[in-house]
Amino acid sequence: MRLFLFAIGGTGSRVLKSLIMLSAAGVKPLDENGRPVSDLEIVPVIIDPHKSNEDLKRTEALLNDYRIIRNRLYGNQLNVDGFFANRIVTLREIMSNTSVTLNDTFIFNLAAVEHDKFREFIGHATMNEANQALTSLLFADYQLENHMNIGFVGSPNIGSVALNEIKDSNEFKAFSNVFKQGDRIFFISSIFGGTGAAGFPIMVKNIRQAANLEGIENRDALSRAPIGGLTVLPYFNLEGSKDDTRIATSDFIVKTQSALYYYKGTLTGANDSNVNTIFYVGDQVRSNPYLYDPGEHGQRNNAHLVELVGAMAPLQFAGMPLSRLSDPDGYPLPTTAYEFALDKDVLNVNFLALGARTRQLIYKPMVRFHLLFLYLRTGFRDMIGQGFTEDAPKIKSDFTASQFYRTLTDQFLHGYTDWLVEMYDNTRSVGLFNIGENDMNRAIADVGTRKGLLGHKNVDNNVFKAEMNRISRDNPKYSAATVEYKLLDLFWQAATKIIDERYENIN
Amino acid sequence: MKHLVYLITGIVLTVVFFVLATGSAFNIYERLYYSQGFNDALYNHNMYPTMALITIAITWGAAAIYYYAINSVKFDRWYHWLAVCAIVTLLVPIACYTYNDAVFASAGLGYIGESIVFQLQNLLWAPLLFVIASFSMRWWSSNCRHTPFPQ
Repeated sequence: MRLFLFAIGGTGSRVLKSLIMLSAAGVKPLDENGRPVSDLEIVPVIIDPHKSNEDLKRTEALLNDYRIIRNRLYGNQLNVDGFFANRIVTLREIMSNTSVTLNDTFIFNLAAVEHDKFREFIGHATMNEANQALTSLLFADYQLENHMNIGFVGSPNIGSVALNEIKDSNEFKAFSNVFKQGDRIFFISSIFGGTGAAGFPIMVKNIRQAANLEGIENRDALSRAPIGGLTVLPYFNLEGSKDDTRIATSDFIVKTQSALYYYKGTLTGANDSNVNTIFYVGDQVRSNPYLYDPGEHGQRNNAHLVELVGAMAPLQFAGMPLSRLSDPDGYPLPTTAYEFALDKDVLNVNFLALGARTRQLIYKPMVRFHLLFLYLRTGFRDMIGQGFTEDAPKIKSDFTASQFYRTLTDQFLHGYTDWLVEMYDNTRSVGLFNIGENDMNRAIADVGTRKGLLGHKNVDNNVFKAEMNRISRDNPKYSAATVEYKLLDLFWQAATKIIDERYENIN
Repeated sequence: MKHLVYLITGIVLTVVFFVLATGSAFNIYERLYYSQGFNDALYNHNMYPTMALITIAITWGAAAIYYYAINSVKFDRWYHWLAVCAIVTLLVPIACYTYNDAVFASAGLGYIGESIVFQLQNLLWAPLLFVIASFSMRWWSSNCRHTPFPQ
């Protein structure tokens, strides 16, 4: 099954970033029996006209790093267990030879952005007087003057016009070419801004009405496709701007209400089957104020709990039984809505504040990944030439200069640290791990090691080395494997055992 | 399979050592040091087999302790192995000398000088047997199988 994941606008990119981190940790969608969904490929498509958006750039870089790392670990294998388990591919990667040409990127190429201003995009100068007057009623002057390459600056009415051309794009055609029955579609967007609020309903409309579109394949599969969406409600604050009020925190609720009314009538109403599953997530506790930036300087917002929670929505959607999304004849069922709640309504969120199901899903994988991060940072290099590194295939010192290792440690794990620190510094503060703590015994916030006969059990690099030595000894699994796979798989198995045996059980 | 070959080879070499250390026609102890009265006394009191067994027991025992009892990631470098080898190299002559001395004392004999010189040859046999023992059994150690140098 392929999960086509449309991440729209800045919030879409940020939620996607959290999903990348969860995927790197090995969090996989589970079916109703708790088993990983088989043959899953995630195809993220970022829709954001604001290409200089820092959040978008950071997410794209992480996606590319993820791809490099995963390809080196598993190649094209789908059903794997370990770090970077979810296969994440571009549209280009899964396209067969067609007449559609596409860049090998996760970013949707929006032709509208090629126009300088929204006024030019709609051909305002060529309109007759009556149409110009109508346009003036629908759009404020500053909206007509809006530069298209900085996004829609909190104006869904611009987005709903500009994004309507998506259906004619090569990306949409390529998407329709590769979409097959059994695949699913998920949208991530915010409802209180411009790009996401407008993009979500337009994309859904175009998919459900695929039968009416020209140059589109698999129309029947598309019009019946299981569609899910994450609608992010207001959760962040902006620093005020005296001179520029195009985006204002005070408008967020009003915009949300308007959009929700619109969605109710077109997407998510009680008898509406355009969107089968909708996840709402937001927070009445607002984030630390972000720098006011309508686009000119590249929006860069800190990671936030809402994005982490939101990233679990597509995973839950992918694991849902088809019977909850389609009727026996294959037609989509009406919308079911989901919300998320913390187990404890606290400002400092750690694993213990999450509900049992969430903990079950992410606790062990995230702890494993964090321990890997600490191990690679503090222990691995000194172990080269000893123990498991000397078993075939040997891990030699030049491994640390390989593209894989540098991508993992210098780039991906650097992004991981930023993500953790940003979530920690935000409000609510997410402190799943004790930031800056290299001692593995104290790495997990408010979760210690178990008590043994002689005090608390110890967890350090040597404990990992011993466990990895034990697993690696005469293990035929690795004889034909790459060193990259061997290292990360050994660590995965060692960490699984060590977490079970040495850390307090909070699940 | 390869590891089993190493183990069997090690056992065979150790048995060969024992046979050559206890033989009368060809005795490796006497090849390296011979003093008429002293070696006759060793032979007559049947001390060669016991000394060979002490040497084998200490070297194989030390290797077993290093690879399977200690078996620690904190003690898995070549210099840790060398330290154990050095201890064995000292321990074997001391143990053999103590044994010789006890037997000679009970028999009313006095070969202190010869005994000391004779035990110097265990500075050769002890590390040799420790190396043989190490390469026979190290393969199944979880943490030290690559010590003193990788497979």
